[in-house]
Amino acid sequence: MKSEIPTPTIHRPEACVLRALLARQETIIFGVLVLEILLFSAIGTNFLAPDNIRNIARHSVEIGLLALVMTPIILTGGIDLSVGSMMGLCAVVFGMLWGEAHWPPWLAGCAAVTLGAAGGAMNAALITRLRMPPLIVTLGTFSLFRGLAEALTGGSKSFTDFPDSFLSLGNSLACGVPVQAWVLVGVFAIVWGLVHRTTAGRAFRAIGFAPEGARYAGIPVGQRIALAYTLAGMVAGLAAVIFISRVGEARANAGTGYELAAITAVVLGGTSIFGGTGSVYGTLLGVAAVAVLSNGLSRILSISDISRELSGMLTGALLLVALAGGALTKAWSERASRSKPANPIKPEPAADTEQPPSNR
Amino acid sequence: MTPDLLSLTGIIKSFGSVRALKGVSFDLRAGEVHALLGENGAGKSTLIKVITGAHQPDGGTLAVGGVAVAALTPARARDLGIACIYQQPALFPYLSVAENIGLRLKKSGPFSRTRWKEQRACAKELLERIGAEISPDAEVSELSMPEQQLVEIACALGTGARIVIMDEPTASLTQKEQHLLFAVVRDLRARGIGVIYISHRLEEIFALADRVTILRDGESIGTNPVADLNEAQLIRMMVGREVSQIYPPSRSAPGDIVLSLKKLGSRAGGVRSVTLDVRAGEIVGLAGLVGAGRTELARVLFGITPADSGAITLNGQPIAIRSPRDAVSHGIAYVPEDRRRHGIILEMPIAHNITLAILRAFFPLTLLRDGAETKLAQQFLFDLGIKAYGPDAPGASLSGGNQQKVSVARWLATNPKLLILDEPTQGVDIGAKAEIHKIIRDLTRDGLAVLMISSDLPEILGMSDRIGVMRGGTLTAVLDGKTDAHTVMSAALGKEVA
Amino acid sequence: MIQKHFRELSIAVALALLLVALAVFAPNFFALQPLLSRLTAQTPALVAAIGMTLIIVSRQIDISIGSQFGMCAVVAGVLAAKGVPLPGVLLASIGAGAVMGAINGALVAWLRLPSIVVTLATMVTWAEALRLWQQGRLLDLPEQVKWLALGQTVGQTTLVVFAAALVIFAAWAMRNLAAGRHVFAVGNDAEAARLAGIDPQRVTFGVFVLMGALIGIAAVMSIAQSPQVQPTCGDGLELKVIAACVVGGVAVSGGRGSLLGVFLGFLLLANVNPALTHFHTQAYWEKAIQGLVILLAVAADGVRSKKAINPVVSAVQ
Repeated sequence: MKSEIPTPTIHRPEACVLRALLARQETIIFGVLVLEILLFSAIGTNFLAPDNIRNIARHSVEIGLLALVMTPIILTGGIDLSVGSMMGLCAVVFGMLWGEAHWPPWLAGCAAVTLGAAGGAMNAALITRLRMPPLIVTLGTFSLFRGLAEALTGGSKSFTDFPDSFLSLGNSLACGVPVQAWVLVGVFAIVWGLVHRTTAGRAFRAIGFAPEGARYAGIPVGQRIALAYTLAGMVAGLAAVIFISRVGEARANAGTGYELAAITAVVLGGTSIFGGTGSVYGTLLGVAAVAVLSNGLSRILSISDISRELSGMLTGALLLVALAGGALTKAWSERASRSKPANPIKPEPAADTEQPPSNR
Repeated sequence: MTPDLLSLTGIIKSFGSVRALKGVSFDLRAGEVHALLGENGAGKSTLIKVITGAHQPDGGTLAVGGVAVAALTPARARDLGIACIYQQPALFPYLSVAENIGLRLKKSGPFSRTRWKEQRACAKELLERIGAEISPDAEVSELSMPEQQLVEIACALGTGARIVIMDEPTASLTQKEQHLLFAVVRDLRARGIGVIYISHRLEEIFALADRVTILRDGESIGTNPVADLNEAQLIRMMVGREVSQIYPPSRSAPGDIVLSLKKLGSRAGGVRSVTLDVRAGEIVGLAGLVGAGRTELARVLFGITPADSGAITLNGQPIAIRSPRDAVSHGIAYVPEDRRRHGIILEMPIAHNITLAILRAFFPLTLLRDGAETKLAQQFLFDLGIKAYGPDAPGASLSGGNQQKVSVARWLATNPKLLILDEPTQGVDIGAKAEIHKIIRDLTRDGLAVLMISSDLPEILGMSDRIGVMRGGTLTAVLDGKTDAHTVMSAALGKEVA
Repeated sequence: MIQKHFRELSIAVALALLLVALAVFAPNFFALQPLLSRLTAQTPALVAAIGMTLIIVSRQIDISIGSQFGMCAVVAGVLAAKGVPLPGVLLASIGAGAVMGAINGALVAWLRLPSIVVTLATMVTWAEALRLWQQGRLLDLPEQVKWLALGQTVGQTTLVVFAAALVIFAAWAMRNLAAGRHVFAVGNDAEAARLAGIDPQRVTFGVFVLMGALIGIAAVMSIAQSPQVQPTCGDGLELKVIAACVVGGVAVSGGRGSLLGVFLGFLLLANVNPALTHFHTQAYWEKAIQGLVILLAVAADGVRSKKAINPVVSAVQ
């Protein structure tokens, strides 16, 4: 079957490993994280003390969970603005099941997670069956879920008086590490495995790069998307339970703004908002970078109010700098190692004799 | 002696260490159709980019109308009357034809008012001039591809272009539309406009062009009047070597029936009552004009659009195909027509592209295994002669022909019983075309049944053991492979055939 | 004709039904003074919706307008409290909005960063900066700002008329001014626009600057209606406005949309909550109903259209 025509040798484009590594967003955010740690341990007091590290971990678990499950969604080229609102709705339902129906917390927790899954499945159905853009669908459910949570609590009711055994989930240690941090580790392992080592992960990327192309390759696009969004809903429910156990209160405004923090972490970690490229460990780095920044600033500036705002502003600025930096270094590494005439990813029409789109 | 419309001398262009153009000279006279021929990678597209100002040459001179031009930019090229009609029309889908033309023709300041009546009248006049029956009020997204191309030509005419470049313009046109386009091109020529015509279809070049320039490996091999050359000479100049046997012949008799369609129909898919058999080891070519329903039939067989009447039988078993996944599980593979959008994912490495259709089967328990995947990819790279620097090379780094081979490799990896090929060598250079044809024929020797859709009549005639001709969503004739072009075309046009 | 304007017609019908139901079951919805006050309160968001229509048509999105609004309102309030006359306050507010818009625009247009992420970042930055600056304080406004120093009824009428005039002018400009057509062109296909001699970067930048300027105007219109400025006054604005655009038929994939549809969609959404109050339903169903209306509107699109508006799952273009 070998061709009779002599094969011209194709040269691998000169890829300087260091340059390729530097061009990756994950490396940049890792560098930022290291910088932050060095800075804060030098300036602040007891930044690296175990208590403080536990504090950081404890406060970043909920957003971390959301960011982890946001990653496969963004890899498919989609987005989910409703995870924070889902947290609120699940929190309220959990509270009602505990406070009014007197369910045991573990059962109420299962119900919360199930509700989350249902919400995620609803997002997925609207996106795949009705072909609605994820941005708008999840904008609608962002409003709908939060609205339901507020309606159920009449805008003000909240639930408290949880048993200590439940509250220990959010406030105690297991092997010296906050309990919820282990949950984060567990979810990280699952999501990392899903995205990087299974065929579903490969499918996510294919769908992100080329939704129609993935379909033509026989990938069950609807099923894979349903998986991503349903998982996100489930974990939002889980995050709600952890949130309640940490603050001791189940209220409708749980998770407000968390979806944006999650998306920030995902994008900081190198996942492209257009889909296809990205990594789960990058997301974790992104979460860590933001959490460390917030914590470090609050220790330096004794007035905690300013530190919150400042860290928020710096996070916004960091996101922009990371993106811009990533775009620029990518262009630099591409230009340096380019050996093909035109940029192959986005060829201009006459670059290669093109096929016309099918108009049959 | 009037100066040439366009004159390039000794153009040199390099990208890094790759010398795309090594001193190419090209000239275009007023009132001529000058064909530009060459394999992919020969430098055609780079030359066109130099002419349109998208690339600056590293050496050589460029003159328009006898006046030397240095540092040509796309805007300046447009001002000088150079227009390029790409295969993908650069139109605004949700704006009207009139507005599309108006925006291209006039550069207005941001605060000027749009004169709707004048815009419409101008568009109407231009469209009539080229004989296009398109309403200026139609929304471009509702036009067919050929109609959109005609709008592009109207734009070119309207901007007063003296040099019109056409890049594979007939690739998706019906016969009738091709004739219309040829008439338009001849009309342009009669007006003294110079047309640079790029096509892989030799019969078009002989029908339309006055002169032809052949590029090979960044050099101009020759510029000759078309009348002085025959097809074999052209091919030899393009390829620089004898290309033997573009169409390898069939050796053995076909086996049992693999696919049997009885009155298969799909209203949503535009297919009416197709009855056809494909046997193991045989290539059934599917001919017909664009819009005849061939790709529609392929999409029904592959589960992209569902069938609502008739029956599909595979190896004697009646089957229902509701999704591409169903089709694959039954052993039906489809190499799609739109290679860049559906056939291969450009951003993913070759190895990942190849396993994309066999994810469930190749990776047990859904866990990826990089080593096994790389080995499989390397096997295909070798077997199909895919020219790439490795299985990790992204699809985008390959030429069109090699991308097509990867697309084919993906489907061969599914071990299909039936392989449907949709325009397998469209946009592929002659050398790779021959390779792909040999691959297809070799596959039939192993018992694969092949259904090949092609608009390239010589390819259909050369490759098929039997030819099904479609028109209006149904089969009008099933002919023996040894039939002639005239018979096939008559059937495609709906005329009675013996 | 009906097919072409199906979206506008269906919203108009829905709106009409709502108004009829109100006329029958809760006629005091139409009591003149409260109606005027309600309309006036809605005008700032309507002005913002004009800008968002242009942004979405040009294939971008801007979720930072809520923070921009708050920032402009505080800037205006601080200057007014210092005694700056109203025209100066207006100019400063527009200027502040334009600057924030320019930052968004520069990052999206020239650094080619995706607008969802850029405006996410600027939204957080401005919101936190504002919180840092004002610490949640309420700002008292001097008398001459209230109702534009025209007294309540005249002031309210002026604001409503001004908003209506702005919408009419914007609709006309989008249809007839080359700049408006350029926005549509870029939203359809930026490369084709470049071929037509339009600079997509400049158009994109301009659209974000215009959005910011309109927010500046809207902010002043808002502070003219209350005795104090609340720094959180812009919260939820982007949702309201994007919802109005989506319900009004503006395609998220860009290139299509009509201001008439957005106007009708805005009226429909803005009056759902007041209607609820008059029907004696709990007010905290507002968010839920808003979300439901968005989903229904886009679902109607999805079911109706033959060609998919977007590829199956892409979030951003």
